Amino acid sequence: MTWLARALVLAALLPMVLASPQRVWAGVPTDQLRTQIDKAVKILEDPELKKKPVERRVAVRQVANDIFDFAETAKRSLARHWAPRTQAERDEFVSLFSDLLERSYIGKIELYGGEKVQFVGESVEGEGAVVRTKLITKQGTEIPIDYRMLHRGEKWLVYDVVIEGVSLISNYRTQFNKIITTSSFQELIKKMKTKQEEFIGEDKQKRTSQQ
Amino acid sequence: MDRSRVNIAVGIFVILGIVALAYLSISLGQVSFLSGGGYYVTADFPSVGGLKAGSNVEIAGVEIGRVESIGLGPEYQARVSLRVRSGIKLQEDSIASIKTKGLIGEKYIRISPGGSDKIIGPNGKIREVEAPVDFEELLSKYIFGKV
Repeated sequence: MTWLARALVLAALLPMVLASPQRVWAGVPTDQLRTQIDKAVKILEDPELKKKPVERRVAVRQVANDIFDFAETAKRSLARHWAPRTQAERDEFVSLFSDLLERSYIGKIELYGGEKVQFVGESVEGEGAVVRTKLITKQGTEIPIDYRMLHRGEKWLVYDVVIEGVSLISNYRTQFNKIITTSSFQELIKKMKTKQEEFIGEDKQKRTSQQ
Repeated sequence: MDRSRVNIAVGIFVILGIVALAYLSISLGQVSFLSGGGYYVTADFPSVGGLKAGSNVEIAGVEIGRVESIGLGPEYQARVSLRVRSGIKLQEDSIASIKTKGLIGEKYIRISPGGSDKIIGPNGKIREVEAPVDFEELLSKYIFGKV
């Protein structure tokens, strides 16, 4: 190998060496979050889908599934009550909990009316990241929303949402802890199930009255 | 010799008084050099609004430590250093929130324990935090926001 060929190989390798993991990942959480939020906004603004609320909700849920780590949110919300649970109990809880989140948050998202999302900043620390955003309503009110994300494989996934300084996980952790310590985990599952059934019943009623 | 007896009695009385005073000031001033020990952890808050050095750190309403110092951290955040009693384990996903006692009471830090296997060691950092809710700001937002 001549010195020229050697120099060329070195020059080709140099960018790879310089691009350390830290540099590769900087800004990635924001980018990934932005893509998903843009997708969701597009779905919500689609005039065709506005007429089909069921399909719209399914489409929004799909976008949410791509960026949210519901299992992590469920695990952290249950906190120290997570470890003693069997795999079957965990699976059931995660599915009930993501339904609960869908009902309370994705239901609200359907009220979307032209709010803007502004990305304020991002801080990455090891496997975790916080992306700070502001939701700007049409009246100009700014609502700070922070997304806490974890690095999972290739993706950054959101596990906690902090609105106006109030954390979603903290809110559910307190509630779940109270229910489990005063009664039992089974009682919590029962409560979540009845809430779910109530909601399905109400939803059906609404739909039949609309038709 | 009667006079020296009185002197001794007065001396003992004065010493007792000083000991009582010292005890009072230590317990009222919440000086914790007697129960020193424990370990330090830090937490970065966007704002501490009224939290002071010496404020309580609680789990389930039980005091498990104190705020040792508050300073300005990177990115204009408040860096709070906590001294936690040794023997108290804080999981890596514990959440530290600044709460108010009652409606207008003093501020304290409430820690809600997590479920992670990883424990925050001495000089570790609590990553999950909740800043105090600023009621005035919230009020003004929703009063003036609705124009």
